[in-house]
Amino acid sequence: MQTSMFKKIVQIVAFLSFILVTYFAMQACGFKIEALQKGLKDGMFFLTAMFPPNWTDFKSMVAPALETLALSILGTLLGSLVSFIIAIFAASNISNKWVKLFIRSFISIERSIPELFILLILIAAYGLGALSAVLALMIGCIGMLGKLFADAIEETPTSLIESMKASGASKIQIIYYGILPDVFPKLISYALFRLEINIRLSVMLGAIGAGGIGFELDYAFSMLQYNRALSSLIMVLILVIGIEQLSAYIRKRLLINQI
Amino acid sequence: MKTFLMEHKRWFQTLLVLIGMFLLIQYLKIDITILFTDFHYVFELINEMFPPNFDVIWDNNTIFNSILQTISMAYLGTLIGGLIAFLFSIIASNNIFNFKLIGSIAKWVLSFIRVLPSLVVILIFVVAVGPGPFAGVLTIIFATIGTLGKLFTESLENLDPTSAQSLQSTGAHKLQTFKYAVWPEFVPAFISNLLYCFDINMRVAVGLGIFGGGGIGYKLYLAMRVLHYKDAVALIICIIILLLIIENLSNYLRHKILRN
Repeated sequence: MQTSMFKKIVQIVAFLSFILVTYFAMQACGFKIEALQKGLKDGMFFLTAMFPPNWTDFKSMVAPALETLALSILGTLLGSLVSFIIAIFAASNISNKWVKLFIRSFISIERSIPELFILLILIAAYGLGALSAVLALMIGCIGMLGKLFADAIEETPTSLIESMKASGASKIQIIYYGILPDVFPKLISYALFRLEINIRLSVMLGAIGAGGIGFELDYAFSMLQYNRALSSLIMVLILVIGIEQLSAYIRKRLLINQI
Repeated sequence: MKTFLMEHKRWFQTLLVLIGMFLLIQYLKIDITILFTDFHYVFELINEMFPPNFDVIWDNNTIFNSILQTISMAYLGTLIGGLIAFLFSIIASNNIFNFKLIGSIAKWVLSFIRVLPSLVVILIFVVAVGPGPFAGVLTIIFATIGTLGKLFTESLENLDPTSAQSLQSTGAHKLQTFKYAVWPEFVPAFISNLLYCFDINMRVAVGLGIFGGGGIGYKLYLAMRVLHYKDAVALIICIIILLLIIENLSNYLRHKILRN
């Protein structure tokens, strides 16, 4: 009897604090229903102003879209390479225990820095342009791919590494002939997954000044050329959906090959 | 020739990737030498950044408030987005709500939401409700509907149908079946997905600051815009600690829930 009473009180207190927290969060964010109602009207007006898309602008959107695509592919390629090298040091089955701890914490710290701010810092050092964007995408890969790659390397069977070690293989030989063939399909599928993220990211990075389709989109919005904005939006959607389909297709093929 | 190619397959693959990278670098007109010739700028920047000016955090209350604002953005976005996503997933999953056409329309809407980059969404919401944390919250809600809608639909469709069927055979109607058979099985997945999404949304909430989303991200953007790098580094360290805490907390709670 006592315990059920106690449980009920705990439930009520939890519920009340939940309501209170939500209320304060709403206050902190300036969450107002009236603003939403008004915004909905403005937003609808704005969405109708976007139609129809400016079809003649499409021709001028192709080059920026290709630039964004090239940016994200290059960033993902370089990022995967760097992440693999880092992952080797972060995997417990080849690396030293303390090195592993250090690299793992470095990876999770990197994961906590939004890519946008990495780009802003790089812009401060190398100026606006494709170089900063590629470097930002590359560094951004480390947080996610470094962890996933390291986990994949740790999953390689110990018998494989042990038998290679017993036959006198050096560390580099173990990595190149033992681990790499074993984890390669996984690496590719993770890298493709990251490519999907990077294509969205590079649209966003473009808006801060990395160029490409993101810049076109942001510029059209700030110039209030909504029809042009819609045509660049359609271009972005084509890019994102295209990459997603491609990545799903390649991953399916990889899986079939593996079996 | 063919055997030669097969024997050295990996070398050729590596070569192809290298050529591809070279072509991409050419296409983007990236001058790699800048990386080395301008490297002293990196040193100058690091010189300017250190030591980080942690006073900025204690100096004015606005930083503390904006951290709270960012957390609230992620919290509200996850909560409201999660609730809407739940309603969506009930409609979209084909084992609970048995209208195939409406279900596939809901699934299509969810994948459309997922495809839209958050840059576009925040730009639209900034036009609609003005810049500030409110626009950020709305963007996070929107994105959360996409992610969680898909996850919820999958976990609803993967539920074991036997308990629902046995309840139905005793004459329980739809709502009762949902309450007593579907809901208890679904709750762990529901909460752990919410926690996972909260972790992601914290990162999104920080990033959205740049595009007028408010919160700590906006403060950091301002500090970098006016070249106060010492303040910026202090804020970045703050953000890293905040995100690490949230990530570990979310992981810990999720493991606990899934084990139970």
